[in-house]
Amino acid sequence: MKIQYFALLRDITGKKEEDWPQPEATVGQLVRDLVAHYGHAFERWVMKDGDLWDLVIILVNGHDVRHMQRFNTPLAPDDTVVIFPPVGGG
Amino acid sequence: MYGWIGKVLRVNLSTGKISTEALDPAVAKDYLGARGLGTKFMVDEVDPKVDPLSPENKLIFLPGPLTGSFAPSAGRYTVVTKGALTGAIASANSGGTWGPELKFAGYDAVIFEGAAPKPVYLWIKDQTVEIRDASHIWGKDVPGTSDAIRAETDDDAKIACIGPGGENKVLFACIMNDLHRAAGRSGTGAVMGSKNLKAVAVVGTGAVTCADPKTFERAVMTARDMIQKHPVGGTGLRLYGTDVLTNILNSIGAYPTKNFQDGHFPTADKLGGETLSATLLQRPKGCFSCIISCGRVTKVTNPKYAGEGEGPEYETSWGFGGDCMIDDLEAVTKANFICNEYGLDTITMAATIACAMELYDKGLITREDTGGLALEWGNAEAMVEATRLTAIGEGFGKKLAVGSYRLADSVGHPELSMTVKKQEIPAYDARAIQGIGLNYATANCGAAHVRGYTIAPEVLGTPMKVDKDTIDGKPELVITFQNLTAALDATGSCLFATFGIGAPQLADMLSAITGVAYTAEDFMKCGDRIYNLERQFNLAAGLTAKDDALPPRLLQEPIKTGPSAGMLSRLPEMLPVYYQLRGWDENGVPTPAKLGELGLAA
Repeated sequence: MKIQYFALLRDITGKKEEDWPQPEATVGQLVRDLVAHYGHAFERWVMKDGDLWDLVIILVNGHDVRHMQRFNTPLAPDDTVVIFPPVGGG
Repeated sequence: MYGWIGKVLRVNLSTGKISTEALDPAVAKDYLGARGLGTKFMVDEVDPKVDPLSPENKLIFLPGPLTGSFAPSAGRYTVVTKGALTGAIASANSGGTWGPELKFAGYDAVIFEGAAPKPVYLWIKDQTVEIRDASHIWGKDVPGTSDAIRAETDDDAKIACIGPGGENKVLFACIMNDLHRAAGRSGTGAVMGSKNLKAVAVVGTGAVTCADPKTFERAVMTARDMIQKHPVGGTGLRLYGTDVLTNILNSIGAYPTKNFQDGHFPTADKLGGETLSATLLQRPKGCFSCIISCGRVTKVTNPKYAGEGEGPEYETSWGFGGDCMIDDLEAVTKANFICNEYGLDTITMAATIACAMELYDKGLITREDTGGLALEWGNAEAMVEATRLTAIGEGFGKKLAVGSYRLADSVGHPELSMTVKKQEIPAYDARAIQGIGLNYATANCGAAHVRGYTIAPEVLGTPMKVDKDTIDGKPELVITFQNLTAALDATGSCLFATFGIGAPQLADMLSAITGVAYTAEDFMKCGDRIYNLERQFNLAAGLTAKDDALPPRLLQEPIKTGPSAGMLSRLPEMLPVYYQLRGWDENGVPTPAKLGELGLAA
């Protein structure tokens, strides 16, 4: 699947996007594997108390997982996952 | 009085009479200041049917009771008038340092009446107030005006002024202060130009008093802590500015593209805050008492678009960018610099060019009409030149100077103008985000995102996440955000403070500084009162429920590509519920019971 990173996550991963070859059943599993790969800095900006931080925007094919099954949202190999740490403006 | 100064400065530009009067404490209590107090003056003193560009319109500059204090991000002032672009109540606020300086000089408001027979500026040094000749400054841009006035007044003078845009009465001209900050929307600068008022220069050596300093200090430190701990207010805005929204809105398919013909722009990342920070950004910058620092000090070295200044904000980047199918951030930033230097609202300027590009694309205007300008989608050079021509009032720029509604109407296609109340819709697609569309339709100043910023809950998830796709609960949400924002604006605080604090914290700071006890409910009721008074002004001006409408495109033409493909605004389902919850009748008129509840009954 394809993963796109924005804001601070680009600095933390050193990437704008990547093809993630490993199969992931859910968003939660993917995020935990990304934390294992990129470390504490990634976890700090995506998770809170072991769960998805409410201010983090994770989109699967453009749809916000906070209105699906959050970390239990299922993933398919050809999905595009977009991750924004908490940012905003106006 | 505490918090408030207790004094209003009145300047009749027709007669040259300058006077002061006491601020009525009861009015201050109910309307707070800035947007609220200015609206009260307009309703009491101005015939709502007046021509906005006539001497009978008034132009009022107002800080709020928190302005100039050390409350976090409370450095703002508001300009209230009847909008040149909209014919509706206008209340555009701006940061920087000008608002606090006016407070230090000793005023809660400066009311300009009439029109000067020749160009003038107002020079305020505490209690000394002079109308001075500005004939030699007329025609100068904003930096030139600021330098010239400082040279003949005081090196430390804070300047709010118009550029050639306001002088030429471009209907979306703004008032600039501190060089780069704008009281941006609805054509406040055109009203100032119609009064031959080039600038207001201020030096103040006084202070803002506080009723209960210890309690105020505790309330301020609590609010500061909450803002700084919030990841958006404390970190995100400083690192990336508001333009970080580009990729978010584009990724969810809510990034209006090609004059709202679509909601997704494939190369939007080239315009986003991440790219801006990595390329043109020199440093972040904050306004008076700001702990956020969202401002972008930027520099373009490419000779083609070279310049230095501030910006772009998200809405500017979007307007000159994706809405025109342009992904050249240097060109976008150059257009932003031109607007700041000449005093034009970037949102309306950009969206008017996008509309003109669609008219050009459809053959409704030709290259002959544009004076040879190839206004093709994605033509960055033509976009920058169109901005420049509007700024200097030449060629096709004269046709753009009336905004997109009048431009599209002049060729028989007003439906191609993406406006509400003739004011251009900003950078969030109402087909993909239901609540913001209802806010656009019902914003008293015409389409604006900063009247009820439901993007915070509908997209970002703060203070809670709600589903952007549904209309359930949206009328309640919009009303809450509109009322909160009206009260917040009236204090002189920045909207971005609400990335961290809400009505309880604002009420605590307001109570401590003024000595008037406000609960969170009182505070929200002030916002409701201000909102309804603005509505009363608009209804008396001749606006009706028919003006609470989105362009037909957003109701009939679904988004074509991206994650929100197929979506439309469901405004017609939400609007009746909104009216009912507001306490308005089916025609959008506040009921006598509602007016009585707010103390607005005749």
